[in-house]
Amino acid sequence: MESVAVVLLAVFSAGYLVLAGADIGVGMLLPWLGRDQRERRLVIASFAPFFLGNEVWLVASAGLVAGAFPGLEHLLLEELYPLVVVLLIGWVVRDMGLWLRGRVDAVAWRGLCDAAIAAGSWALALAWGSVLGSVVFGGGLNAGSVLGLPLAAVFAWHGAGFARWRLPVELAARAGRVPARYGVSGAVLAVLPVAAGLRLPWSEVVTVGGGLAVTAVTTVAVLPFLLGSQALVWWTFRGRVDSPSYL
Amino acid sequence: MGADALLLARIQFALTAGTHFMFVALTLGLATLVALMQTRATVSGSAVHARMVRFWGQLYVINYAVGIVTGLVMEFQFGLNWAGMSRMTGGVFGVPLAMETIVAFFVESTFLGLWIFGWDRLNRWLHLGLIWVVTLTAYLSAYFILVANGWLQRPVGFEMVDGAARLTDAAALLTNPTAVLAFFHVLFGGFLTAGFFMAGVSGYHLLRRTAEVEFFRRSMRVGLLTVVLSVMPVVIFGGVQFAYVQPTKLGGESAAAEVARFTARFGPDEYMAPGLAGAGEALMMTMWSLMMLVAAVALVKLPFGGWLVRGRVFHVLMIVSVPLPYVAMVSGWVFREVGRQPWVVYGLLKTRDALSDVGSGTVVASFAAFTVLFGVLFVVNAWLLVRFARRGPEGAGLGASPPAEQAPVLSGTL
Repeated sequence: MESVAVVLLAVFSAGYLVLAGADIGVGMLLPWLGRDQRERRLVIASFAPFFLGNEVWLVASAGLVAGAFPGLEHLLLEELYPLVVVLLIGWVVRDMGLWLRGRVDAVAWRGLCDAAIAAGSWALALAWGSVLGSVVFGGGLNAGSVLGLPLAAVFAWHGAGFARWRLPVELAARAGRVPARYGVSGAVLAVLPVAAGLRLPWSEVVTVGGGLAVTAVTTVAVLPFLLGSQALVWWTFRGRVDSPSYL
Repeated sequence: MGADALLLARIQFALTAGTHFMFVALTLGLATLVALMQTRATVSGSAVHARMVRFWGQLYVINYAVGIVTGLVMEFQFGLNWAGMSRMTGGVFGVPLAMETIVAFFVESTFLGLWIFGWDRLNRWLHLGLIWVVTLTAYLSAYFILVANGWLQRPVGFEMVDGAARLTDAAALLTNPTAVLAFFHVLFGGFLTAGFFMAGVSGYHLLRRTAEVEFFRRSMRVGLLTVVLSVMPVVIFGGVQFAYVQPTKLGGESAAAEVARFTARFGPDEYMAPGLAGAGEALMMTMWSLMMLVAAVALVKLPFGGWLVRGRVFHVLMIVSVPLPYVAMVSGWVFREVGRQPWVVYGLLKTRDALSDVGSGTVVASFAAFTVLFGVLFVVNAWLLVRFARRGPEGAGLGASPPAEQAPVLSGTL
């Protein structure tokens, strides 16, 4: 049962980094992909229908940790406290920029929200790089916390690959100046949590008692439905964007 | 970790959870009302109902955004500031949290994205199905969170082995009366919040004699009906919970016995609930009495559609009543949560022993950052809610263009 839960956590955390990694990356590149506010709204529309469904993979990963590996909360959250705080603040700032941008029709407001989206995305990507580096180097704040920072570039690279096939042709050309392929960068991002996971002492952090079975079995049971709901989103919004969205 | 860090961590959690709870209360109720209105709009194809879905749906989505980001931070705050809790009781407490994220929130959020961005793009029956899934998973989410909270109030279905709690009886955890009864209490509280919100916004427009008389007469009716139907269930589901309330929260003879038992086992401490808990209870009951009076007025007005449009005093009354359920929700929550102190898990783990072992400087910095961030968030979103509520149906950004009289027009722009 423990290995089932480990595999599930690998699936959910890789799902987060691959799917949300793309919208974080596009957010990082927002000032370059969109030269004015109208263009930037289109750039945001490229991932708008997905971002809610993307970040739930991280929420579910955190849920799995709470249900199956409560000992990990100490290693990942308490020991990496400052990094997690930066990560959360970046996440909130970015999401508020996204949610609020289209709600007030004023140039300064949109400019502020664009800045929040870009800055929040950078903070998120850098914090993730640092967290992954810290875990690979053995846990706690260590050399890996600094050495992991360049991993943020992988998010930007992944975002460029996503923007190439989602943006209107003329904007996509800007993303195409970097050699980026969604599949390749996605595979790199999927490997990252697995690499970090190899360093974690699973048998020490796994929960004891019935909680593990309840969490793992329920997750396996609902997984097809979760994947189906996500597939419906991707199928509905396949193809290039041609008009602004609600955001 | 000193007393200051403990206090800061508690205040930080209270601010996060309190903000979250206020927005969630409206979300729970408003999602239901929007789903019902969309059902009516889809079945009848009537334009006024389609516009109602768009207007109230817009307010629901603005409100949801704050609920979601505060919820995200809260999920991580358990591990950040309260690592002692996951160390000792994570084996039980973590299970409903996992269920909430995977079974409920994952689906809720994915389908909400589809509902917002798929407007006028999806088949209208599928679009209707989405809002119902979003509503039902929001209920499920609230249920699992109250299973987690109910276990903190009244730990069941576990055994202690080597200083850590293990789940032995999942059914006892999931059917804990402090969870199930609290769920219905909060659910009807959410309906009440949304009912007063809808009636208050409608009252504003009817008072101002804006052009949308028919629109807001119908909305007022929905709001008042919701208030009338929820005001008794909320107090019943609140009242029956008293059978399971901790003795130290209520006082009296059994409280003295409980304090003696705790003192013998855990050493002397302040085991009686802080005075703030009782103040919360009193304030909650006062708010409920006021809501009951407003509901009585509503009951008189409801049978006569024309009466809802007239009566300036009545409209002002509905506007000033909007905060009542919010104050009741927050003070009821203070009664429940402060009343459990000094315990985080009643009779098992004290709050101060659950605190993470991080420097107080770090706690102060994160406290300052999150407080400022949530303060700004709260103000901006409250301002946006008021702004969009005052603008009326023409200002809603959800969906593309106003719907045609007959079939909804499919348009690519959102």
